[in-house]
Amino acid sequence: MFNLPTGNIGGQELFVLEFGDIVNYFSPYTAALFVFALIFTVLAIVSRPERQVDIAFGGDAYGAKEVSIDLMRFQRFMAIACGLATLGAMVSGDVFNFTLFASLVGITNIGIVAAYRNRHVLNAAFQYGIVAMLATVPLFGGAAIILASTGTLSMWELFADGVAVPIIAKAFLVLGVMGEGMAPFYVAKAEITRAQGAPFILMVHVSSLLLFLRVIEIVISM
Amino acid sequence: MILYLLFATFIGLLYHGIHRKAIARVQGRPGPPIWQEILHTLKFSFKETWIPKTASQSLFIAVVFVAIGIWSAALYVLLSGGSLLLLFGIYLLHKIVEHGMGLSSGSPYGKFGAIRSVISAASELPLLVTIVAVYFFTHSLSIADIVAYQEVHGPLLIVAFPAAVAMYLVILSKMHYGPFSIIEAKEIVSGNMTEHFGVWRAGLQVGFALKTYVLLYAFVLLFIGQLPFVLMLLVMLLILISLSFVCAVTPMLSPYDTVTVQSLVTGALVIYIIILGVIMG
Repeated sequence: MFNLPTGNIGGQELFVLEFGDIVNYFSPYTAALFVFALIFTVLAIVSRPERQVDIAFGGDAYGAKEVSIDLMRFQRFMAIACGLATLGAMVSGDVFNFTLFASLVGITNIGIVAAYRNRHVLNAAFQYGIVAMLATVPLFGGAAIILASTGTLSMWELFADGVAVPIIAKAFLVLGVMGEGMAPFYVAKAEITRAQGAPFILMVHVSSLLLFLRVIEIVISM
Repeated sequence: MILYLLFATFIGLLYHGIHRKAIARVQGRPGPPIWQEILHTLKFSFKETWIPKTASQSLFIAVVFVAIGIWSAALYVLLSGGSLLLLFGIYLLHKIVEHGMGLSSGSPYGKFGAIRSVISAASELPLLVTIVAVYFFTHSLSIADIVAYQEVHGPLLIVAFPAAVAMYLVILSKMHYGPFSIIEAKEIVSGNMTEHFGVWRAGLQVGFALKTYVLLYAFVLLFIGQLPFVLMLLVMLLILISLSFVCAVTPMLSPYDTVTVQSLVTGALVIYIIILGVIMG
């Protein structure tokens, strides 16, 4: 019934999941990304956070940062929500759904970081919030241009030969995903060393990376 | 497949030993015997093992299995002629293993290794450029199609030489003791691997051995083509020794220099891709 037009890129579909006219698909590529996201979502559910060891500057003293139960619960909730949004983005067969999941990943990522009651970390979370918010413009703009120029947002239609997707729409999608997946911004700042909490913090990077991998497949296939 | 996995692990560990030996000989040292990494892995397998009190226990253990899992999957993708894009995906997912390994322990040294792993994300971009360049020529990302293309048109190493250089750099950035090995630099003890010892370290050694085998195998398959098995191993060894020479004569760069060099290389390759796109329509 279904036949993915780009079997030579991510492999032929193994399984499809229909929601009305939205058809999600598992190809070897999307299935591998889905499984990886699932592993780390399960880890976020079952793990207790690390207790980061900090060395006092200029001395020999060191101590382990404790994570309070409230903080852990909130971060775990956000990490699970982030995992679920990532799972959705990995197998989505519709560009608009993909952009929705990507923006949800951006929101949950900010939630994970903003949970800390530390002025520096909160400042950083505020800045990531601005980046993620700005990124929604090219993200949804890209989807809107695709719809306006081709008349559809279904990847099954868009991946077919003869459907020309404007290169600016593809560039906007990639730009939007780079803004929503904030791992490179986050890790380039010192705040990551102030904020303990693997595996919840790790979900920021897992989701960013997986979103990037998925958007590459979408852009190459269109 | 299980037998092949064991074989690939053995060869990967042996290659790591040869890598160390070659570096030592270039630097005028006797160096360890070439089977040293195999002995290391066996030794770690039987050493006392525990988990640091500050670690996120589930993640601390899980990353070891994820490391072995993803590179076993990568080997399967290669052997079955699967998608090159999937191989690229697995290569990027290795970053999460490196990052998770460092973050999970609670150790500041591990965390600095993890952070260095993410800031050197520029090392992954040349692989993406390689994929795009290969796609320009073969119009497919299926490894089986790429091998078939080379049987008809000759090795991609000649027509897509800059892409081969990009892939070579990708492998170099993952080699131990190389100019880009900032995540395991000695000033941060063993970086992200600092707290993983005993059985966990043995598991990581297995995962990394598979990684070396897969990357070298992929290079030969993508840019030279399918060769008889023994010849394939020999060509992989030659590439490895050339990498060892580079590692032996190049000092480890600082983290920001690493990112700068990798970004410049990526920029040059992007220009190559644009030129290729214009020429090939």
